[in-house]
Amino acid sequence: MAGYQSVNPNHEGDQHLIAAAHHILKLLGAIRNLSDDTRKLLADLDIHLSIMTGNTINNGGEAIEVEKRLKCAERMVLRWQANQSMIWDTGPGEVSEFLGAIDEVQTLIDSFSGVSVNENGRVRELLYRANNIVQMAMLRLQEELIHILVHHKLYFEPEYVSFHSCRADVIYDESFVSLEDESVEASQRVSNTGSVSGEYIVDLIHPQVVPDLKAIANAMIAANYDQEFCAAFIGARQDALNEYFFVILELEKFSIDDVLKMKWSTLSSEIKKWNWAMKIIIRVYLTSEKQLCNKILGRFDTVCSLCFVEIAKATFLCLLNFGEAVAMGSTQPEKLFCLLDMYEVLDDLLLEIDSLLFEEAGSYIRIEFHELLRKLGHSARQAFQELQKAIAADSSMKPLPRGGIHPLTRYVMNYIKTLTIYDDTLNLLFEDQNMEDTHSIVESETEQDISPITFCPLACHLRSITSALECSLVVKSRLYREDSLRHIFLMNNIHYVVQKIKGSDLRIFFGDEWIRKHIGKFQQHATSYQRATWCSVLSFLRDDGHCSNSVLKTSYKERCREFTNAFEDVYKIQIQWCITDPQLKEDLRISTSLKVIHAYRTFIGRNRISDKHIKYTVDDLEKLLLDFFEGTWRTLRNSRRR
Amino acid sequence: MPATDYQGSFLGRISIRRNQVMSMEGNHEQELEDLELFQKHVADRFAELAPPSPSQPSDDIPSDPILSIAWIRKLLDVFLCCDAEFKAILIMGRDPSQISKPPLDRLIPEMLDRDVKALDICNAITNGIEAVRHYQKLAEIAVSALEQRPFGDGQVKRARKALTSLITAMACEDKDGANYTRTWSFGRRGAAAAGNNKSTGQLRSLSWSVSKNWSAAKQIHAMSANLVAPRGTEASGLALPVYIMSTILLFVMWTMVATIPCQERSGLATHFPVPKQLVWAQSIIGLHEKIAEEWKKKEKKGSAGLLEEMQKLDKLGQSLIEFTDSFQFPAEDERAEEVSAHLAELGETCRRMEEGLVPLQVQIREVFHRIVRSRAEFLDVLDLNGKSSALAM
Repeated sequence: MAGYQSVNPNHEGDQHLIAAAHHILKLLGAIRNLSDDTRKLLADLDIHLSIMTGNTINNGGEAIEVEKRLKCAERMVLRWQANQSMIWDTGPGEVSEFLGAIDEVQTLIDSFSGVSVNENGRVRELLYRANNIVQMAMLRLQEELIHILVHHKLYFEPEYVSFHSCRADVIYDESFVSLEDESVEASQRVSNTGSVSGEYIVDLIHPQVVPDLKAIANAMIAANYDQEFCAAFIGARQDALNEYFFVILELEKFSIDDVLKMKWSTLSSEIKKWNWAMKIIIRVYLTSEKQLCNKILGRFDTVCSLCFVEIAKATFLCLLNFGEAVAMGSTQPEKLFCLLDMYEVLDDLLLEIDSLLFEEAGSYIRIEFHELLRKLGHSARQAFQELQKAIAADSSMKPLPRGGIHPLTRYVMNYIKTLTIYDDTLNLLFEDQNMEDTHSIVESETEQDISPITFCPLACHLRSITSALECSLVVKSRLYREDSLRHIFLMNNIHYVVQKIKGSDLRIFFGDEWIRKHIGKFQQHATSYQRATWCSVLSFLRDDGHCSNSVLKTSYKERCREFTNAFEDVYKIQIQWCITDPQLKEDLRISTSLKVIHAYRTFIGRNRISDKHIKYTVDDLEKLLLDFFEGTWRTLRNSRRR
Repeated sequence: MPATDYQGSFLGRISIRRNQVMSMEGNHEQELEDLELFQKHVADRFAELAPPSPSQPSDDIPSDPILSIAWIRKLLDVFLCCDAEFKAILIMGRDPSQISKPPLDRLIPEMLDRDVKALDICNAITNGIEAVRHYQKLAEIAVSALEQRPFGDGQVKRARKALTSLITAMACEDKDGANYTRTWSFGRRGAAAAGNNKSTGQLRSLSWSVSKNWSAAKQIHAMSANLVAPRGTEASGLALPVYIMSTILLFVMWTMVATIPCQERSGLATHFPVPKQLVWAQSIIGLHEKIAEEWKKKEKKGSAGLLEEMQKLDKLGQSLIEFTDSFQFPAEDERAEEVSAHLAELGETCRRMEEGLVPLQVQIREVFHRIVRSRAEFLDVLDLNGKSSALAM
């Protein structure tokens, strides 16, 4: 349109040209079967030509034509001004009429743009009037826009998109000390849903009204009312998002102070909510929101990306800040699983975040999410190291009574068993870190056919955890006064560790060689136990007596009595001891029984000791041995009455 | 002024000297010198922020007016510099066990607690800047409408609509900080449509809040509650830099709360718990008094926030509304000329906001991350100490 200005109507040639054009227009206008559109086009052109020549509009018929058309548009706008009903609710005819009127006025304004209004009072007056009509119409469009956005918004139920298949929740809120085996069942990793973001687009606005919104956007932006459009559009869509966030998803906002002071049980459930909300909001809601913006404002790149970022900003920042707060908090070992969950969720969504905030406007938020991922990874590593520290720091002055399985052993083994479901992520996290302190743990390079998993970073870290545990157990075992109980305790605990590893995915991380070695270890403790307990007791029954020279002189009867006493002493103590694993208990009893019963039977048989000198028959003794390691307080007399 | 300019110079020096200190067992003199230098730097940096006194007109380039966006950005730079130097003094090359000795064993956790509160304030301010950006956009509509030549009824109405929204939004925010609403729904039908759900407004304010019932004024109060100047022998030890840095943090956060809209500012304390005789604190105290005075005026008058640009929007917006009210078609040329000066000023203010607000937001994020990092560094040191003494289980 600016081109009009270059035409100087004072030049004679140009005057002629315009006159000729006028003539052609008139001729064309006389054709009968012209479509309305064409006719309007010709009329527009006619007005342009009139304005270019400047003077004609003052008195010519064109001025009247312009005024007529303005008046027509004005009337329509004013009529709607008085009408309470919404145009877009009324019908498509009314809509196109209204938009047509705006378009017409806009065309007129544009055509005036080359004319110096100061020179031409008439044009100026028309321009004022046209602008006034546009202003009223725009106000109206804004109202219509909000009305449509509010009344045609759609929500999807969160269940619509089920992410729960991704991974069953790992619950780990047990305290460090007491822990039952059953409470931590490592959940199975279900293959991650191969998510293409396109799968999750939903309608946030009724698709039927999208073309209407597009038409309003076009009209408002064409009239340079883009700021007003953005304000209304962003505001309405923000409200919709807020409603979704706070009312439908029932999410809450927390200050960092809140999060840091939260009880662990509350925090872990909030973390789960965050994981869930991140997926729904980023993968589904905001992806769909962006799509909606594109549909409505696709033609206007800058406006489009600006609108989206403004709509989504508060929500992005809210999700971000919760993550920041969690990453800032203390890193007790229990938190590791939550941190890993958050890490995996964010890692999985990062590509989507990148594409949502691709443009300059949102780039700093995008970068912050990348930073958050790094921080969560760091916190997760720290929580892992905390476990090692906690194992080393776990010291008590009292030995665990009865030599059973220490809570620490249970805790650590259940903990690392659960860790294996995060193997990929953990390997990634450990690879980033230098692994200087784990090199000593790698054993048995000589072995053939070892799975590469046995040497992955996680495997190394797991073995370093169990070796820290072993060290801690050895320290704890020193608290026992009896050597025998010390061996029972170590046997029990190492056996437990081995069983846990053999019976789970941990097996491949530790490797067969490690397992063999540790089976050897607890068997060694079983042997040591037998030596420590029974060597002295059985010495009474030995013929050659190289255990003790003094017993040689005593009579067989006396030796038998002394053996009985010694056995009773052992019995009283060791029935209180505990071997929880039935198989292990059975094995130890059998081998003990073999040794003791064999020696006793031989002794009695060879020395022909009469029954009245014998307190226990061989059968009695065999039965009594069955009471061992039951962890009971039964007295000997009771047991005899059975 | 980028924060790194400062760091290169003194951090290097301090760390080099620190290493020397460590090699020479217990060089107390060196430490005293570092502390003195720190105090001097603090005093100098804040002195630069003070508005030039009218008695001695400076012939340099005019400085940024106090409480303007550019000034706040300088303030944040100063904070970042002081924080870097503070950490250099307290952590770098130092035996961690010194930090766990009294009185630091108490002062540092208190400081870390203040840090957390400051983080939430940073977030509240980030949200508040969004409100300010909204005001800026409304003002821009008015500017672009009135800048059209010739302007007639249409433009005037458009401008007035935007300006009225602007003034209402600012007044609304001011009256009810927790509930600042973005008045995006112009017109009766739109408002009716948007307002049909009563909770919409609540949700809107919630989305820009830190959390429900969070109050900036209370956080500031909590930050200053246990801030006590070290006395006696402590006054020359490591308790002093902790106190200085905490004071700076408090001042910076308080200033931002007073300046930029944020959640629940009513009852914001104007008392600054710093003894007047402290040399390093002179400039801070001076600035504080000045800002507190403005704040009191604002509370009394019920005007818009203290941010210089917002005050401009308020003043110019009001005057332009007056103009649009009395506007008669056709416009008298004189009247139009009279307005154009105000319009130019409003346009200039919008331009400065456009240039400054987003970078300010990014800078606040930088401050946020710096505080997070500093806090983590101190926690690491405390952790190292804790391991040897306390057993977690």
